[in-house]
Amino acid sequence: MLLAGCSQPPDPGQHRQFFALGTLIDITFYGIDSSTAEQAGTELEQLFLRMHADWHAWQPGILQETNHRLATQDEFSADPTLLPLLEAANRLSRLSNELFNPVIGKLIALWGFHSDERPAGPPPDKAAIRELVQQHPSVTDITLDNGRIRSSNPAVSYDLGAVAKGYAIDRGIERLRAHGIDNAIINAGGDLRAIGRHGDRPWRIGIRDPRGPGVLAAIELGDDESVLTSGDYERFFVYKGKRYHHIIDPRSGYPADSATSVTVIHTDATTADAAATALFVAGPKQWYAIARRMGIHYVMLIDRNGTIYMNPAMRQRIHFETEPADIHLSKPL
Amino acid sequence: MTRADWVLLVAVIGSLPLLYTHFWSDEGVARHLQVQIGNRPARIIALDQDRELTLDGPLGTSRVEIRDGRARFVNSPCPGKNCIQAGWLTGAGELAACLPNRISIQLLGMHPRFDAINF
Repeated sequence: MLLAGCSQPPDPGQHRQFFALGTLIDITFYGIDSSTAEQAGTELEQLFLRMHADWHAWQPGILQETNHRLATQDEFSADPTLLPLLEAANRLSRLSNELFNPVIGKLIALWGFHSDERPAGPPPDKAAIRELVQQHPSVTDITLDNGRIRSSNPAVSYDLGAVAKGYAIDRGIERLRAHGIDNAIINAGGDLRAIGRHGDRPWRIGIRDPRGPGVLAAIELGDDESVLTSGDYERFFVYKGKRYHHIIDPRSGYPADSATSVTVIHTDATTADAAATALFVAGPKQWYAIARRMGIHYVMLIDRNGTIYMNPAMRQRIHFETEPADIHLSKPL
Repeated sequence: MTRADWVLLVAVIGSLPLLYTHFWSDEGVARHLQVQIGNRPARIIALDQDRELTLDGPLGTSRVEIRDGRARFVNSPCPGKNCIQAGWLTGAGELAACLPNRISIQLLGMHPRFDAINF
């Protein structure tokens, strides 16, 4: 009987996958009946598909319409479904000293990352990059008051790619809780938030190695924590042997080049998402100051030489598959 | 029994938990493959038989090989071929996806090492 049990397929009701927000969304449930999982999974799928359509940076939808109207510099009523996301993005951008900048959509489009697969070809013209950087699109150019929005800078164009996944995960978790589901993980293409536990043990998360196959480290999550990683391997193109990735430093207009990945653990996924991007841009020299400003308590940064930086609290939680020879520990966050 | 016999007996009994974990534990062992095509209901396929799956997505046909309890993409019509570069999936919980062709494969087992992978 026991042997027969081993060959039974795992209960598919505890797992739900679908494609949305340009990635694979994977929901893991624990300890609920299949029909509740089915119902919640279907509702989340619809929610994510709607967010995908509304927030798309380069296809017609609410965000594109908002960008067109912002470019006119006239005041208008922001779409109520988009408003909380814009407010969160603006707030997090200010907190990050604008290293996470959600209004550099034109720069990201110039680099060719406003397509599912960037076509092969050279990086953009230097002068075009310089021109966009000099226009300095910033959330401080945007006035948001009582649902009314206007921009004083025509270069402002929202691209929510560095925060929308986290925000969507948070909305998904709210929806699961409304279904009475207390133990689950929503994993959106590697960015995830976990609530509750896996039965009598905590949820176990593997952090993928940014420079090779397999897992770099393992971590156990407490009830309600998010783990988000920004990496230079997620979207990139190669031209004449040089890699150009999608995390653009708003100060230079070029891909941020000192880190290869930054992993952040935080309660809500929206903050963790924006913070992972900001700390990636900040790099080994500035990540600590920005993490403090953003109220982040667990950070691991790997630089382009493979050197690992982290704060002591992160060091205590993370279990490496192979213990690194050298870890640069910061002061406590 | 001599003293050496006692030492040996204690050593053997003491090592049983380790031996059990090493040889009989199911942790990380994959038994099935979950195949997701678009947003259709997932298919679950046993890994006990070597075979090749032909999976039709919006871009065309992706082929997945199952061999010796492992699985991998061997062909896909996507431009980047990231799914093929992911190589063999060997442990429960491991996943590879062809996002342009909207196909993902994930190994399933009763006791995956990880509940989710962050990247």
